[in-house]
Amino acid sequence: MNIRTVAKKAGVSVATISRVLNHPDSVSDATKEHVLCVMKELSYTPNWFARGLNLNKTGVIALVVPDILNPVYTQIAKGVEDVARQRNYNILLCNTEDDEYKERDYIEMFISRRIDGLILSSSFLKGEDLNGIKSQGIPLVLIGRNKEIQGENIVYTDFKAGAYEATKHLLELGYASIAVIIGPKLHPENEEKLEGVELAFAEAGRSFDKKYIVECNNTIEGGMLGARKLLSFDQKPQAIFTFSDILAFGAMETIKADNLRIPEDVALVGFDNIRMSSIVEPKLTTVSQPVHKMGLIAARLLFDIMDNKDGEDMIPQQIYLESKLKIRKSCGHMDRLSEIFD
Amino acid sequence: MDLSVDFMGIKLKNPVIIAAGPWTRNGEMIKKAIQAGAGAVVTETILSELRPTNIRPRLTSNSSGGVQNIRLYSEIELDEWEDEIAIAKSSGGVVIANVLGHTPSEMAYIASRLEKFGADAIELGIASPHGGGIEVLASDSQKIYEITQKVSDSVKIPVMVKMSQGVTNIAKLARSVEKGGASAISAINTIRSILGVDINTGKPFLPTYGGYSGAPIRPIGLAAVATIAQATRLPVCGIGGIETFENVLEYIMLGASAVQIGTAVMLNGYEYINTILTDLSSWMEKNNIQSIDSIKGKALHSLKSFEEIEIEPLESNVYKKCLRESCKDCVSSCLYSAIHKNLQEVYVDPEKCTGCGLCISRCPDRNFRLILKV
Repeated sequence: MNIRTVAKKAGVSVATISRVLNHPDSVSDATKEHVLCVMKELSYTPNWFARGLNLNKTGVIALVVPDILNPVYTQIAKGVEDVARQRNYNILLCNTEDDEYKERDYIEMFISRRIDGLILSSSFLKGEDLNGIKSQGIPLVLIGRNKEIQGENIVYTDFKAGAYEATKHLLELGYASIAVIIGPKLHPENEEKLEGVELAFAEAGRSFDKKYIVECNNTIEGGMLGARKLLSFDQKPQAIFTFSDILAFGAMETIKADNLRIPEDVALVGFDNIRMSSIVEPKLTTVSQPVHKMGLIAARLLFDIMDNKDGEDMIPQQIYLESKLKIRKSCGHMDRLSEIFD
Repeated sequence: MDLSVDFMGIKLKNPVIIAAGPWTRNGEMIKKAIQAGAGAVVTETILSELRPTNIRPRLTSNSSGGVQNIRLYSEIELDEWEDEIAIAKSSGGVVIANVLGHTPSEMAYIASRLEKFGADAIELGIASPHGGGIEVLASDSQKIYEITQKVSDSVKIPVMVKMSQGVTNIAKLARSVEKGGASAISAINTIRSILGVDINTGKPFLPTYGGYSGAPIRPIGLAAVATIAQATRLPVCGIGGIETFENVLEYIMLGASAVQIGTAVMLNGYEYINTILTDLSSWMEKNNIQSIDSIKGKALHSLKSFEEIEIEPLESNVYKKCLRESCKDCVSSCLYSAIHKNLQEVYVDPEKCTGCGLCISRCPDRNFRLILKV
């Protein structure tokens, strides 16, 4: 069964069938209805890949994330999907597991499959790699700031400012010893968060004891191990700031397993504000990252570039979204008003 | 006699704009407001990401015409506003998009999309007293400047900034808006409120802090508009508790170029716009006022500093016969015990009266007036 069979049966030209499929607005309602009826009768479904070649588009955009198990990225993916669905686009979701080579492999695959657009989140790639992608005619939007990249369409939030706010909050609550559980150190986002922590300490005129920095995988298990290490110190920290909510959930388990209370014995603050952070007990104080919104805006920017058929000059947009401290119970504050408003 | 006004470069057929709110939540409703005669309509606040909006219950009112609202923002996705604006403008009219983002680049991004979708102007909805932090976004002079500047640079259509009275120095903030390149200022947004508590259950009427609107906030809106009009050269759009054509005139005489109505439309329907406009034009005709512009700011000239107010030897005087035997409002509210009443006989003791003027507004029949002491 192919398009010619349908055309013959419907008594119209192949070009008309093609118009019904690809540009239905250019066909009269009566013809359209007749053709669709014949297609249904013959149980004909178009070959989408071939259709993509004809239209010079595949109806697919790709989203690359570093860790599909981290709810931050599922929320970004949801934002991208919300927009893509409205446009009848499908998403190719690729998980790099923080592996630069895996990311490069995926990108080669995208080029050979001629995807229509690409969103890279927390990417390892640099200027020349990105230019390489664009030179293949693939529109590109980035999520998450990479300081070395200039002049690209990008949606980002300020990790340093977020970590600064969280640390400042713990310092203001008067904790004498504050520890941080960070993800893999080589990741630029974690470096930025660490800068924020150090800045808050410096501003408060306090020295930040480096022994309280624990590095681990950005997973619940990582958080458990990190907290285990901190709780084994002779001088246990009074408060722990984890660089992600999933690390905080892990830390929560370990703290509870040791029969310690949160926040009375150990206060805890996370980062991300994923859905579960308002469900766990005690509810997690965390830095709210507008991740779903980042996905939405990145996808809208991407479609703007894709829609710009006449190649009009578009100034790359750098859209900064605010992160915000979301105060709940785990940090040990006594300020109900901030819970309501901030 | 001409009701039309030029507001931030847009010709409006009359100065009555429908304010952002649940009553402008989609294209159809905006279209209805336009068809009912509104000079322009402002959309409900549009964000780049939807937030839960329809908390139940979310609206409550009191007997003084005040309304507390805890509905947050538009429940329609940013991109879907393309169709909504097309519907809104399908019979003509001016549509202003009220937008909210939390950083300059986010705000500029939303505004430029709405410009692309056909909005005639942008209103920055940065003054809502609920849904954000304890300090409204519009209370930081630097932030308000940066946001205004970025948005004004990013769109070609006029940008109006909606301001809040929940700030310490509205004049300073208005100057930041002017410096940022805005085309106009609208004021005021609703005021943070708790309308009341159900004393039987011990719970507030609505489950969180909300925005207070309606007649009770009008005096606050009038003062804010006068302040902004005196602090900047920007056109001002007066908002807050407008219920009648007289209220429209009050705002205009205090320096507004146009006004926005919200709560009155919510409580009385869109047809109410027509009542206000008809009354406004008959008043203008009766008083031989040719244009709105000719009375704009008229009352500002009579706003004085304390040292400029001349203290005249005025005293209260009863000039109409009291017809209410049992009414004692004048007597009980006289701070100087100067008013005495026996059935319908009302007497002001000139030795005690200091001319404070309270009895004039307390008397339901307006039987008092102030006269020069002889």
